[in-house]
Amino acid sequence: MTQENVRVLVVDDELGMREGCRKILEPEGYIVESAEDGQAGLELFQRRGDFAIALVDLNMPRMGGMKLIGRLRELDEDVVIFVITAYAAIETAVEATRRGAYGYIPKPFTPDELLLPVRNGIERRALAIEAKRLREERERRLLEVAFERTKASTIISCMTDGVLVINRDKQIVLRNNGMMRILPSCATLSLSSPLSALECPELEKLIEEVLSTDTGPVIASREVALDRCVYMVNASPVLEPNGDVMGAVAVLRDITALKKLDVAKSMFISMVAHEVKNPLAAVENYLTVILKGYVDGEPEKQRDMLERSMVRLNTLRTMVSELINLTAIETGNFTVKRSVLGLTQVVTEALDACRERAEGKKQELSFSCANGAEDVQILADRDSLFIVCTNLIDNAIKYTPEGGAIRVQVAQNGAFLKLSVEDNGIGMSDEESEHVFEEFFRVKNRQTVKEPGTGLGLSLVKRLVEMHDGAISLRSTPGAGSTFTLSLPIAARMGM
Amino acid sequence: MNAHPTRIVAIDDDVDALECIGYVLRNAGYETHCFATATEALAAMAQTPPDVVITDLMMETLDSGFGFARRLREDERFAKVPIIVVTAAASQRGFDFTPRDEHDLAAMKVDAVFAKPVAPDELLATIRRLLGAARPDTTSGGPAR
Repeated sequence: MTQENVRVLVVDDELGMREGCRKILEPEGYIVESAEDGQAGLELFQRRGDFAIALVDLNMPRMGGMKLIGRLRELDEDVVIFVITAYAAIETAVEATRRGAYGYIPKPFTPDELLLPVRNGIERRALAIEAKRLREERERRLLEVAFERTKASTIISCMTDGVLVINRDKQIVLRNNGMMRILPSCATLSLSSPLSALECPELEKLIEEVLSTDTGPVIASREVALDRCVYMVNASPVLEPNGDVMGAVAVLRDITALKKLDVAKSMFISMVAHEVKNPLAAVENYLTVILKGYVDGEPEKQRDMLERSMVRLNTLRTMVSELINLTAIETGNFTVKRSVLGLTQVVTEALDACRERAEGKKQELSFSCANGAEDVQILADRDSLFIVCTNLIDNAIKYTPEGGAIRVQVAQNGAFLKLSVEDNGIGMSDEESEHVFEEFFRVKNRQTVKEPGTGLGLSLVKRLVEMHDGAISLRSTPGAGSTFTLSLPIAARMGM
Repeated sequence: MNAHPTRIVAIDDDVDALECIGYVLRNAGYETHCFATATEALAAMAQTPPDVVITDLMMETLDSGFGFARRLREDERFAKVPIIVVTAAASQRGFDFTPRDEHDLAAMKVDAVFAKPVAPDELLATIRRLLGAARPDTTSGGPAR
């Protein structure tokens, strides 16, 4: 078997020895390089470095073989070094081995006397390298395992959810920081304390269900209220490889915010139901009274009742479309088609749509535009803006008595265009103003009771304004009137 | 014997519900006073005590109809006045005020509870029944039809 690419360094001051070795080794496939003394050998080794075998004479000028062996060993712990010398003696062999030589080849030698130890040396080197590789790999794995362990425990300790692990004897074996935050009693207890020491019966009951052997391994989930917070507790068994239950792990997740949202949603649905039922009941009331003949012979009254029914139905229809819009905004399904437009045009259209109602109440409905503001453009959805404007103007008409005045103004205010709708109507208290943008909030008093309203208009206005990166504010004085002011960002000029 | 015609106070914050009840009651020959809030009604009742009070439940605050009823019961001037509650909240989730039996009604301190919209015939029949029980000698102000 020939050796491919195995490099052998021969260091000997006798040319005959160097050439002899080359003649024996090269036919076997070895790549042989040689040096005539220790110093040259060391330099060659340092330059090339990848010698598998070094054959070193002991007695050489400049640097002797003994010293060279030590230096080579320092440079490469895997190189297999053989001493070749005519001065064979036990002492020198021991000294050479101590310094790192692997074997000893006495001069003179036959080709086989050289080839055999060299082959053995190469095998030994391969084994040593493999052993070293395995050792390194094992160390790396150990490091990885240690790292994974730290990682896992770091993750468990840093997670916001509470983690509690219980053994079969219902003793606490692990509780993370989250758990200690949720149940402060957990932090003061030492590990292996009984579960009951937590004094949390709900949690205890849940874990007992999981540990119970009658039912087999189960996963138990329940909402548990602890100290004004609500937690979703998921408890599952910790199983041994054979399937036996060795304990339980409970994970507690704070769902307080979700529960609040849930309650708010239920409240909202309940309010919607109530707000829908009221106008329906009113219409049904009127129709029943008419159909049962209570108003027979009073055609004027009948007509009045039918007209009132119509008003209630109209309000109901408006409310349903406002609800659809609000829901669409909330779920991100409300389509806005933004275009660069003049606010004054939309305001003029809204005023036209509302004028008849204002005239019906003999109110003065005026519009003014501060110099230059009519040419200022905003980036907005025309339909949304129309809903906003008509809602504000309609509100002013509704809550201003007959003969009152409503002033609509547009003006520029820095990077914003301002729209204000001012009335001298009934106004409202600070407390009422605070809630006026909330869904279904309506000011209820003797003056507002006859006005149909959905209680959704202003919440829709606020949402729409916010969708346009604008803001809406209100100033109101009871008995003196209200002013709603709307700010919308001015569109960047074209080409900028 | 009462000298005045039977007087009814109706309270509802829904202007149309109030209009309808008011119309039916007046049409039936009762002297009817309508109010949008319990506060206004109380002020008027201090001047002219009613024979029957009909009140909505969802006024101003959620339970103000019952709060109002309790106030009347605690006031010796109105302690015996029959109270009829008319509410849209009767069947709403979480707000089920529908009495299950007489005991419930007594706990609510009211005499009858109706869900909106109330059928005029039933309302009138209940008023007659309550007036009959409270004042068996009443003859004045009976229904016109």
